[in-house]
Amino acid sequence: MEQRERWASKAGFILAAVGSAIGLGNIWRYPYVVYENGGGAFLIPYFVALLTAGIPILLLEYVIGHKYKASPPFGFRKIRRGAEWIGWWQVIVAFFVITYYMAILGWALSYTYYSFGTQWGEDTEGFFFNHYLSISEGFWGFGGIQWKVLIPFVIVWAVTYWIMQRGVSRGIEVANKILMPVLIAMMIIITIRGVTLPGAAEGLNVLFTPDFGALADPKVWVQAYGHVFFSLSIAFAIMITYSSYLPDKTDLTNSGLIAGLANSGFEFMAAIGVFATLGFLAAVQGVAVEEVATAGVGLAFVVFPQVINAFPFWNSLFGVLFFGSLLFAGFTSAISILEPVVAAVREKFHLSRKSAVNWVCGFAFLVGLLYTTSGGLRYLDVVDHFTNQYGIVLGGLLEVILVAWIAGKLGEYREHANRISYVRLGGWWNICLRWITPVLLTCMLLMTLLNEFSKPYEDYPYSGLLAFGWSVLGIILIGALYFTRLRQEGGNA
Amino acid sequence: MGVSAWIMFLLGAAGLWGGLAYFLWHHIKAEKQVQQEGQS
Repeated sequence: MEQRERWASKAGFILAAVGSAIGLGNIWRYPYVVYENGGGAFLIPYFVALLTAGIPILLLEYVIGHKYKASPPFGFRKIRRGAEWIGWWQVIVAFFVITYYMAILGWALSYTYYSFGTQWGEDTEGFFFNHYLSISEGFWGFGGIQWKVLIPFVIVWAVTYWIMQRGVSRGIEVANKILMPVLIAMMIIITIRGVTLPGAAEGLNVLFTPDFGALADPKVWVQAYGHVFFSLSIAFAIMITYSSYLPDKTDLTNSGLIAGLANSGFEFMAAIGVFATLGFLAAVQGVAVEEVATAGVGLAFVVFPQVINAFPFWNSLFGVLFFGSLLFAGFTSAISILEPVVAAVREKFHLSRKSAVNWVCGFAFLVGLLYTTSGGLRYLDVVDHFTNQYGIVLGGLLEVILVAWIAGKLGEYREHANRISYVRLGGWWNICLRWITPVLLTCMLLMTLLNEFSKPYEDYPYSGLLAFGWSVLGIILIGALYFTRLRQEGGNA
Repeated sequence: MGVSAWIMFLLGAAGLWGGLAYFLWHHIKAEKQVQQEGQS
């Protein structure tokens, strides 16, 4: 049997973990979440969520991966026989996420190119939805594959495939060591340029002025826990896989704290950059900042091109920096989402890395072609909603229930972490994972379910939600049970 | 920017960037210690 791959250095592991956590959401989601949920006051529930759920789960996953030196399905099987399916659940969720994540990376690549000479023109909304995506009428209007979307999609897949083939230390680690410093430098430049623009102070005022009354609203707290949970790349098999490549003597706690705080520190900086530039756009258009503030695809591909158009000089350079940072942030996350799938398939079927990468990347590429069609944005939106709100949250809930309640391993894991770490974990860690995290995750799940049944998501037809949402969850469950029952190649059942 | 906005900005920056700097400093110190032990 091949020897397990290893990180070449601890710094390489930390950069890869930070690279995984820092993704598109840090740039296009976090600023708006802060603004919508009490502005500066949101920092209070955010810090509480980070310290009571985000970092504790992150450290739990580091311990599981480090202790068992296995991909999630086999790590969970070592915790308790019969729990392998929870690992497969997380791995298959990661598989579905990567299928659409690469399509968004393709858009970011296209827009990095379009930044040269601000090729999107004045009507940025029309350019994105009609010219670039050629979005079709009606949910079921597939409209065929769009070559403008397909070409960048193929390019980002080709580069990702090449990195994945090179392995953990020569591929993933090297990519992160190059891309992460560049990404951080780009974000620093964007932020500095942003805060020096006219109107930036008004944007930052809107972002940071606290509304402490919002803290009485339970939804604000659920938003804080939800954001921290999705932002740290926890509960979808990544951190367990990454930490399984660590050497025996590693300071797990300090690495986890660095990764968690680097991710949060980055998104805090991104929020300053984004709202400073939104303040500038509002000043140029003569409207309130509230009127231009948005999140997600709309912020990145409609509002930001408007910001770039309005720049006094070096418009193209700012465009390349912004879309390049989206591309790099997404890229380091994408390779981290693929790795647990590759590792699990490799271990289950005793494949070489090359074969496992071929199978996983090949299959994910074929599924991802769906998102290059004219209707792709809608299908992507539904799959994203269901895999995140149910797939990842349920994966995290099952994980903490298994470890804290069924197997009762928290004490043992705390000892494991403390034996090799400089920063020691106290009893608070057990309380967070045994009580706070399961309760909060259950609340999140119930609130999403309640919303789901009170109003169809984004007013999509029920047939579409059934086909791309509930069915995907069904496939994940059936797949998890099937892979668990499948006899391991050359090993026991 | 108003005073309350400045205060929240400073709290966030101190907590997140300050916390990161503190644990990075710990990491670098520990790495140096390991290197020195390896040489002696």
